[in-house]
Amino acid sequence: MAGFRNVGAFADADNKGQCWITGFRKLVASAATPTSGFIDYLYYSGSPAANFYASAPAVSAVVEANKGIYVPSVAPATQHLKGLTVMSNAASATTTSNQRQRLIVADYLMYYPFIDTDAVGEEQLLENTITLPRYGSGKVIAVSQSAASAVGQFTMTYTNQDGVAGRVSQNTFTIAGLTGGGQVATTTLSANGYHPYINLQAGDYGVKSIESVTFTAAGGGLFALVIVKPLFTHIVSQECRRTTTGNLESYGAADKFDALIHQAGSPRIKDGAVVGIFGQGYAGSLASSALVGLLETHWG
Amino acid sequence: MGFASQDALINAITTDGKGDMAYTSKTLGAAGVAGAWTLLGPQAGTPQLSVYTGTDLNFVPTDDTWAEDKIYTGGDVSPDTKHFLSGGASVVAAAGAPWFIMAVDMVGFVPLTTTNVSTTGTKAVTMTAIGSSAAKVDRYPNGQGLRMFVAADTAMGANAPTCIVNYLDTGGAAGATTTFTSTASATIGNVLNTGAAANKYNPFLPLANGDTGVSDIVSLVWAGTAHASGTVIIGLCKPLWTIPVPATGIYTKVDFVNALPSMRKIPDGANIQFLMFQTGATTSGGSVFVDFDYGYN
Repeated sequence: MAGFRNVGAFADADNKGQCWITGFRKLVASAATPTSGFIDYLYYSGSPAANFYASAPAVSAVVEANKGIYVPSVAPATQHLKGLTVMSNAASATTTSNQRQRLIVADYLMYYPFIDTDAVGEEQLLENTITLPRYGSGKVIAVSQSAASAVGQFTMTYTNQDGVAGRVSQNTFTIAGLTGGGQVATTTLSANGYHPYINLQAGDYGVKSIESVTFTAAGGGLFALVIVKPLFTHIVSQECRRTTTGNLESYGAADKFDALIHQAGSPRIKDGAVVGIFGQGYAGSLASSALVGLLETHWG
Repeated sequence: MGFASQDALINAITTDGKGDMAYTSKTLGAAGVAGAWTLLGPQAGTPQLSVYTGTDLNFVPTDDTWAEDKIYTGGDVSPDTKHFLSGGASVVAAAGAPWFIMAVDMVGFVPLTTTNVSTTGTKAVTMTAIGSSAAKVDRYPNGQGLRMFVAADTAMGANAPTCIVNYLDTGGAAGATTTFTSTASATIGNVLNTGAAANKYNPFLPLANGDTGVSDIVSLVWAGTAHASGTVIIGLCKPLWTIPVPATGIYTKVDFVNALPSMRKIPDGANIQFLMFQTGATTSGGSVFVDFDYGYN
């Protein structure tokens, strides 16, 4: 039987070697990111290597497996998140803007790159050459692939979780003043605030595929629409740094998430998952900071 | 055996004296590599630096009777079982933070030197497969839960070949790790399959789908342009626990009694060693201090 029936089985998975631990280190680019704006850590260099969503424009694609935080495939068993420990290294001895982040760990399912946010009034048709590789549907985030200069507005048409095509998203705003790629490029209702997911037509909770995007106001940039399956949320509570003048002091915190203790359940990670993290920095720009961590899974 | 209750634990480590503390302190012999892991065994300190002596391409078991220096954890206690109760770590270095420290039980290693490093091709390994006897080398029956890494035992020369390690899994079936790209000119202790680049795996080599351990190391295969020089080991170990160290001088203590799963077992014969992840390039001369408490019953 796949999964864990009790604490004994949960613990015994480690003794049987049915577990994996992967370290990761993602270094955010030097371009400033907005306070409280989300960024896509998958986009930045480090380990795993950066993923720029660089494939044929407007054509559906999957993120290469080696761009995600490595997890093994374990069928016929089922794999679950056991824990995640993270630390965020400050850009300098005096930088405090990378403290207090919300992290969303997700399985990156499918994306459509290079959507032109200046194509006002024309329907940009997206080409669906593949189907969603895992889960029946997911949520949609827009990840910038360039700087963005203006507040654009758009809707997208999509097929919902039940396979109903022609659904239309809520009117969605792009975020002006983005200075580079890797930043979540849209929000909802107005140009203020930072909501990572694109709001769907009333009654829908998931997207199987996206068919088109239509802008009514120009955003001055490019983004990729990415369908993700959020798995769990986590935090960074304080940046890690060491002062270099005055009374030398060390600051920092490690934030550990134990799935069975800190959440109702141990989220499943499906075989083939491309595990990535998008994060929201409440205290300021995350530029040049590093997110390091250990992701632990186990299966039974 | 083990602890049936908190009362049993308290009684064992106080009334019966069944427990102690162990520690290690290491001074890094060379600057580290940002985003990579380092094996602390070849660094000077306590225990003394390990040179991982052995006949080339022959598996060397490492337990608490290993000829090189090691951490003493109270010797054999069977039929009692011994468990970690807590662990702590700190790092002091001008650069490199934050760090992770990982404790492993080193079950053994395979040394490769001279032309086994400086030429490409298949390097066949001689090893008796890990079984399920009472021997200390079999303390993880059939290699359950064992992981592999490839580390520099001396400073490496130029070039970064690709590498695969072939092995037998816990059922004796053949498997191969994912290909990784080694690290050119790595310093002593650098885990060559780790780092912040494509085709790096941190800190252990991915096994074939579904595999849960390694019972036998069969061969190492270098391809591409061989390392100009250097010596390496294939490490075979059981990961035990990790401790984050956010910044220089901060000491982090982790409680293993109330975690879940808790109180990882220290089997008779365990040879506790440590790996360290560094976000930046840790300064040469940086010092690492790790301790842990254990009890048995």
